[in-house]
Amino acid sequence: MHDKQFKKEMLTEGAHAYKAGRMDRRTFLALCGASGVAMNAVLAGDAQAAADHVVMWNWGGQSEECHGSAIGEAFTAKTGKGLKFDTSGPLEGKIKEMVDSGNVTADVADADLFNAVSLGPTGHLESIDYSVVSKEKTLPGYALEYGVSVILYGYAFVYDTEAYGDNPPQNWADFFDVEKYPGMRSLYKWANGSLEAALMADGVAGDALYPLDMDRALAKIKSIKDNSLYWGSGSEAHSMVVNGEVSLGMVWQNRGRNIENDTDGRYKLVNNQAMAMPGAYIVPAGNPAGAAAMEFIATAQEVPAQLALLDCLGMTPSNPEAFGQIPEDQQDYAITSAKNIDKIVYNDPDWWGKNGGDAVNAFLEAIS
Amino acid sequence: MHTLSRHIHPGWLIIAPLLVLVVALYLGPILNILWLSVTDPEPGFGNYAKLGESDALIRIVWTTVRICIITTVFSVTLGYSIAYAMVHCHQRQKNYMLTLLLVSFWISILVRTFSWLMLLGRKGLVNGTLENIGLIAEPIAFMRNELGVLIGMVHYMIPYAVLPLLVSMQSLDTRVMDASRNLGASGTQTFWRIYLPLTLPGLVASTLLVFILSLGFYVTPAVLGGGKVLMVAEYISVQLLVTLKWGTAAMLAAIMLAGVLAMLWVMSRFMKLSTVFGGAAR
Repeated sequence: MHDKQFKKEMLTEGAHAYKAGRMDRRTFLALCGASGVAMNAVLAGDAQAAADHVVMWNWGGQSEECHGSAIGEAFTAKTGKGLKFDTSGPLEGKIKEMVDSGNVTADVADADLFNAVSLGPTGHLESIDYSVVSKEKTLPGYALEYGVSVILYGYAFVYDTEAYGDNPPQNWADFFDVEKYPGMRSLYKWANGSLEAALMADGVAGDALYPLDMDRALAKIKSIKDNSLYWGSGSEAHSMVVNGEVSLGMVWQNRGRNIENDTDGRYKLVNNQAMAMPGAYIVPAGNPAGAAAMEFIATAQEVPAQLALLDCLGMTPSNPEAFGQIPEDQQDYAITSAKNIDKIVYNDPDWWGKNGGDAVNAFLEAIS
Repeated sequence: MHTLSRHIHPGWLIIAPLLVLVVALYLGPILNILWLSVTDPEPGFGNYAKLGESDALIRIVWTTVRICIITTVFSVTLGYSIAYAMVHCHQRQKNYMLTLLLVSFWISILVRTFSWLMLLGRKGLVNGTLENIGLIAEPIAFMRNELGVLIGMVHYMIPYAVLPLLVSMQSLDTRVMDASRNLGASGTQTFWRIYLPLTLPGLVASTLLVFILSLGFYVTPAVLGGGKVLMVAEYISVQLLVTLKWGTAAMLAAIMLAGVLAMLWVMSRFMKLSTVFGGAAR
């Protein structure tokens, strides 16, 4: 990951030097060849120099293609500006480092809303311009000063129908019940969602979760420690299930459909008590494209973009206007569909923004 | 000029640019880390005090040290026998062995880590075969625990253990062993009293190399440990990227650095470190 970042920075610098005539074409191409990077990635560096593009900082993989088709095309049609990607993953520490170093190369980061709570007040983010971005086109409470939720993802679980087909698990209490449902389970390693699931399993109501009772949650987590594995990325969660390592797997709900397909329906997604997580777009302070970032976010809020993201990535719309237009074949998977919306619970970005660091450490200490 | 060159060897002038570069690019960031560990989030030794306050940090450090020691013992022992075999077989076999060793040396750590999951995972090749022939009823938990981490790390470290040993064994004067046999020592005696002591510098070099590299392991424990084997490197990364406790991360990095330096110092009490790193014993 760091190698990738290094190469990208080196090539960006190379592109600047080439444009400015400080480096000849041959050297520049040799540099590209040496780092094994295709030309379009190099052009991203070029784009940053020209600033007639918005650079979206996301997590790579499919999202590059999907963000391009779902948001990028409409954005270009509307503003004439292009869209480029930095796919190195905007973790909180990386955003802080980028802004602190004064070398800000990204305009919009595909992050979590709790990042907006923790990084905003310390001056690392631009405020969202609500004359361009709409507060109505997201769920109430998810339009904050330094970030706005554009999509929702969720913590739900899948179960093995061959193991529990007669009496399938229905909620987090079942998920944590190793007597009734023997076998391994997998949980998210960085605490988010895992803590809430543990509290719900312990009998806390979904709308009374916050502030989280850490001791109670960790005690519940520890009670199934011998029967648990922990994953750190979506693909790891996916492979733990698909390779049959776990019988009950907490997953990001947008992976549910692929898991069902990859296992020929052996594993089934349960969205009851799924924890809706506000995925947010945030803007690093001093971003190169300036106000264009806000227009990009506004484009992502529109219904067609929301539905296209659902279709392409499985990310659930956060714009209430789009809820009614979720297609029939996505009803089971999208957590804000008519079928699911009454069963889900909502994450509190404010609590996580303020307490997330300590919660993650306490969780890591409990499971290791 | 003459007085100057009498005190400073002119050779220093040639290596001065390199020296300046190393100091600026290497020592600078290290000092920055040390500085961060006593200034973030507030000035003082609060980050270091955490070591005394929290069992968790001690446990993470201890897990790391324990895993590294076990990894080193296995890698160096296996590496020693591999190097021994390579030195004593025919040139042709030796070339095959060296090729295989270097190929595995060059394969990415991610590939090597995930291939262990394929082989020894719950539904992996080994468990599948054993279940099919009826030897076991339940899959054996090789992976996603500390055993898995150790298997992955030992496998990754063996080439690092072999190479310094190979160099050391190849440079031995074989006539010494012949002389020992000639004077009536048995093969075992020759090995324990002549061969092993002569390869000691190589043994120490490979032990140090493997142990120090193991301390920084990140990918293997994260993947093969199933989230339950938390080593210092991964913890530092989480503190940097997720929880933004850079002071804690810097403190742990400083502790690791101090630990490695202390180890080198202890070693230097017992032997000339220059022989370990290829210099002449004086």
